[in-house]
Amino acid sequence: MNVDVLEIVELTVRVAAVSTGIVIVPSTLLGYALARHDFPGKRLLSTMTTLPMVLPPTAVGFLLLQLLASDGLLGRKLLGFDLALLLTWKAAVIAAAVMSVPLVVRTARVAFEGVDPRLEWMARTLGYSRAAVFFRFSLPMARRGLLAAVILGFTRALGEFGATVTIAGNIPGRTQTLASAIFQAQQDGDASAGYALMAIAATLGFVAIFSVEYLSTRRPARSRSKAGVSP
Amino acid sequence: MSDDRSKMAATASLAVTVSMPLDRFELDVSFATTHQVTGIFGVSGSGKTSLLEVIAGIRVDARGCIQQGEQRWLDTDAGQLTRSEDRQIGYVPQDGLLFPHLNVRRNLLSGCARAEARGVKVDEIFRTVTDLLELSPLLDRQVEMLSGGERQRVALGRAICSGPSLLLLDEPLAALDMSLRRRLLPFLRRLNEEFSIPSIMVSHDPVELQALCGDLIVLRAGRVIARGRPDDVLTDGAVYSVAEHGYENVLPGERLAGVVGAGRLRLVGADPPIELAVGSSDAPPGTRVYLGLPARDIMISRDRPALISARNIIPAKIVALRSLRSAELVTVSLGASTLELRVEVTSTTIETLDLEVGGQVFLSFKATSCRVYGESDRP
Repeated sequence: MNVDVLEIVELTVRVAAVSTGIVIVPSTLLGYALARHDFPGKRLLSTMTTLPMVLPPTAVGFLLLQLLASDGLLGRKLLGFDLALLLTWKAAVIAAAVMSVPLVVRTARVAFEGVDPRLEWMARTLGYSRAAVFFRFSLPMARRGLLAAVILGFTRALGEFGATVTIAGNIPGRTQTLASAIFQAQQDGDASAGYALMAIAATLGFVAIFSVEYLSTRRPARSRSKAGVSP
Repeated sequence: MSDDRSKMAATASLAVTVSMPLDRFELDVSFATTHQVTGIFGVSGSGKTSLLEVIAGIRVDARGCIQQGEQRWLDTDAGQLTRSEDRQIGYVPQDGLLFPHLNVRRNLLSGCARAEARGVKVDEIFRTVTDLLELSPLLDRQVEMLSGGERQRVALGRAICSGPSLLLLDEPLAALDMSLRRRLLPFLRRLNEEFSIPSIMVSHDPVELQALCGDLIVLRAGRVIARGRPDDVLTDGAVYSVAEHGYENVLPGERLAGVVGAGRLRLVGADPPIELAVGSSDAPPGTRVYLGLPARDIMISRDRPALISARNIIPAKIVALRSLRSAELVTVSLGASTLELRVEVTSTTIETLDLEVGGQVFLSFKATSCRVYGESDRP
């Protein structure tokens, strides 16, 4: 076995954690807006945020690559400086973040939709401003679904391959994650590495999905967050 | 009696003039009240809840004017709209709407920041509320473990602990079964007496409204169709189908010591005192209750009946006769007090007995016709 498993796992978890950290706040706010408010362009916004889920990951990677290329919208020529993201672990974070947004937004939305809006009105009548209602009532009441959203987003980021390999490459020790390392092991015909990496990936995934199942079924009355898993 | 109370609470008045399109009709309501408890009565879908939501500031699409005491909550002409959180209301919906992520204690105290900001002594109110509503044993429970009656008591307590200047009660007991509903009546009355918070109570239960309200507004298809004392309004054939449902007199009473198998009850406010034979109960003497007495179950006679099986025979004076579509309603006063009862008879009876206003009569009714509300009916 010719791979540094620890290094790969460390990088993969780091990428997934940072990606989840970046995604969770805007996705939660967006999920809340989609669950509670009607505004012009709501369907369009909802569709756009879901798109990465149905596009081929390599298509998303291709788009990101064009964006970050030197003559892209976020490239050196337009910005005036080089973000120097391509082929770094930061590019893997971006790829993972974009690919996990749909899942996080949808799960968060379902979590908020499971909270009776009249409870929020009740909190308003008790003297809480809109912002206070969101933080002190909506968030805690949706906490199970939101935790599921975090876990699903993290898991999606853990397994991201297509977009990641397009913009971050597959450089051992620098941008090689579990997914790309398994691909590499297969290419190299290194079955023992492939089995070991696959076992780690399966374990992480199992723990994550089992936690979500637990979160969404422990209290039957509020178990609607599970619906967010399916596309 | 209710007029005296309204004078005491006259500082807190509510004036509402609003209009708003609803699904099937336009809500178009105007009223002002200084009563401590004002009832809003009407069938389902008559606009009661919508009206309450407009007063609460939950619905903001209404036009018009709402003045509560010194505060103007809505004035569409002046572009004024006070937000729900700034109206200092206590809202109690029929399903309680307790916060599922908080236990009972934290639910009760969820509005206490506002109360403290208004200078209300929350500790004191919290103690009184848990005492009056008998919530002490429930304080550390999760709300999903509560029964329907417990939930509604917590919802009431939460509203009061938030130090409101107006209570909005939207059928607070409607989700409960009838016997539990009647049993919670005294809780509402205790809160009224203890805190004297002006209240608007939506209900479609005549017994509840008569027991608690000094003033009643009747809505139909979004408009006020009647207004006045609950017992007057609810015996108006144009408002309430007395013939269909039968009118039930509701009077405040107090349990007296009974003997095994028979209970006694004293009417509150009767002069001279009136004691009645009613069904027995385990409630201790002194328990405040309500007597429900169907107008159809009372017999009327010119002379004191002798040798009759009815256990209650009381003298009364006819103060009004009202003709309904299918029956006649005789209003009688009891002794020198303001207590009134209504008796349903046929027009033939009026003629045969020659009943007229000012005439002295005797009322007879069985102990089993007396419904006693407000005490545990299950041991």
